Amino acid sequence: MFFGIYKPPLEIKKENISIKVEKKDKAFLYKRGKNGERREKFILFDDFEIHINPVEPLNTPQEISPYLFINFSKSLLIGPKKREKIYIKFPIEIAVFIKGKGDVEVIDIFSLIKNKFTLYGDIRSGVVCKYYESEVYKEVPDVNNLLEGVIELTLQNQTKEWVEVNKVVFNAYLMKIYYNENLVSCISKMAIKSKVLAETSFVDKPLQKNMKKSLELFVSRRLPIIPSEFTMEWGL
Amino acid sequence: MSFIHKFLNFKLYSEVTVSDILLSILILFISTILIKAINLNLRRFLKDKLEKQELSLIEKVVSYTILGIAIISILPMLGINISGILVAGGIAGIALGFASQKVVSNLLSGVFLMIERPIRIGQQLDVEGIRGFVEDINVISTIIRTYDGLYVRVPNEKVFTSSITNFVAHVVRRFEYTVGIRYSDDAEKALRIIKSLIEENPFALKNPEPQVFVDNLGDNAVEIKVRIWAPVQVWYSVKMELLWKIKKTLEENGIEIPFPQRVLWFANDVKIKKNK
Repeated sequence: MFFGIYKPPLEIKKENISIKVEKKDKAFLYKRGKNGERREKFILFDDFEIHINPVEPLNTPQEISPYLFINFSKSLLIGPKKREKIYIKFPIEIAVFIKGKGDVEVIDIFSLIKNKFTLYGDIRSGVVCKYYESEVYKEVPDVNNLLEGVIELTLQNQTKEWVEVNKVVFNAYLMKIYYNENLVSCISKMAIKSKVLAETSFVDKPLQKNMKKSLELFVSRRLPIIPSEFTMEWGL
Repeated sequence: MSFIHKFLNFKLYSEVTVSDILLSILILFISTILIKAINLNLRRFLKDKLEKQELSLIEKVVSYTILGIAIISILPMLGINISGILVAGGIAGIALGFASQKVVSNLLSGVFLMIERPIRIGQQLDVEGIRGFVEDINVISTIIRTYDGLYVRVPNEKVFTSSITNFVAHVVRRFEYTVGIRYSDDAEKALRIIKSLIEENPFALKNPEPQVFVDNLGDNAVEIKVRIWAPVQVWYSVKMELLWKIKKTLEENGIEIPFPQRVLWFANDVKIKKNK
């Protein structure tokens, strides 16, 4: 198991990632390697834990937006007043937290996924989003949980018309990510209000039994209170 | 006790006693503490909700209001007749108004700038050829830090009446290159290479879609136009990074950016003399 809580010293290797926390010169040295890229930090504290968690995919290569745009490879048609559950993949980032006496701090965030950004909406009032493309599944798909997680998305067509859905946009600061040995996941809802308008939100529940909740980055960074849902007002 | 009583009631001038002076100082002192306390709390509670510019304006309004009330309340204690001051102030105001038209104009421009808000603190702009970051928007002037780190104070009237180019008013912006390749090179291959480099760059936006096309058959080169949209926070670094990558990758693939050249035709054979 890669994600979890560790007491230093520690050494973990999985796929192209290596994480090591070792005692050096009366301090601890944090070392991380990923595809040839290296990062090192000294930790000047003795009694601490290392938490390795999947987190919101907003931080690499640079945090410029809180929004996540998932484009469906094939568009969906949902019938009037229909409620349907689907599964889509989302990119994950891996965060290493340090926890001392009560306080939690992020010391490293990295990702194995290729990043891409897009604009949702028009140039004047749209929002920049992290972009990802996913197939749509009716069952939980197999994923490499170092790269991708699974979102259970409940589509609720509140209109009396057929609606075509090609994408979903979330405020990823609101993501409630859970993980276990095999899966990283979260649960979300998309309330379709019209052919071009929907509201997306996350539900704070695990997708499967025995899943642990990831530490939320926006809590550890003490970001100001943000709305609990995102309104997709520039098309579905 | 009688000594303190006598001291406090000792007349310094006309009807103003030591106790009046002490009370005035106390009022000023309390109002200063009040200003600091209110501003501190405003900053604490509104820092995340308001922008720096709006918060600074609210703080100034609060400070001057409290200070104004304090001064007006202590003036009679100091034996100064407020009605006289108001009349004198009115006349002086008219005189000053005529004398300081520019200042008033800058002041009003400042107020309109704060209402219309074409620029905000921290944004990048161009006003009359002055390019840089907006450091502060004061009541009569706007402070700009140019890209080379110079401090420029621009009167608000000039900012308000000039055309302002705000480089970061929208969340994304476009930049473009013209890449020239030789006529002998495979232009379609060059287009493919440039498109794949754009696709690889995370900040070159998926939508609005980048455009890569042959724009002109020039004198010396086939000119390829490359238009890319990027988030405003990173557009310049993307622009610098991608241009160099395009140049390097094209060269690695045998596609070269040509120098200007002329083909000369001679009427007669040219004899070339070789030096030994």
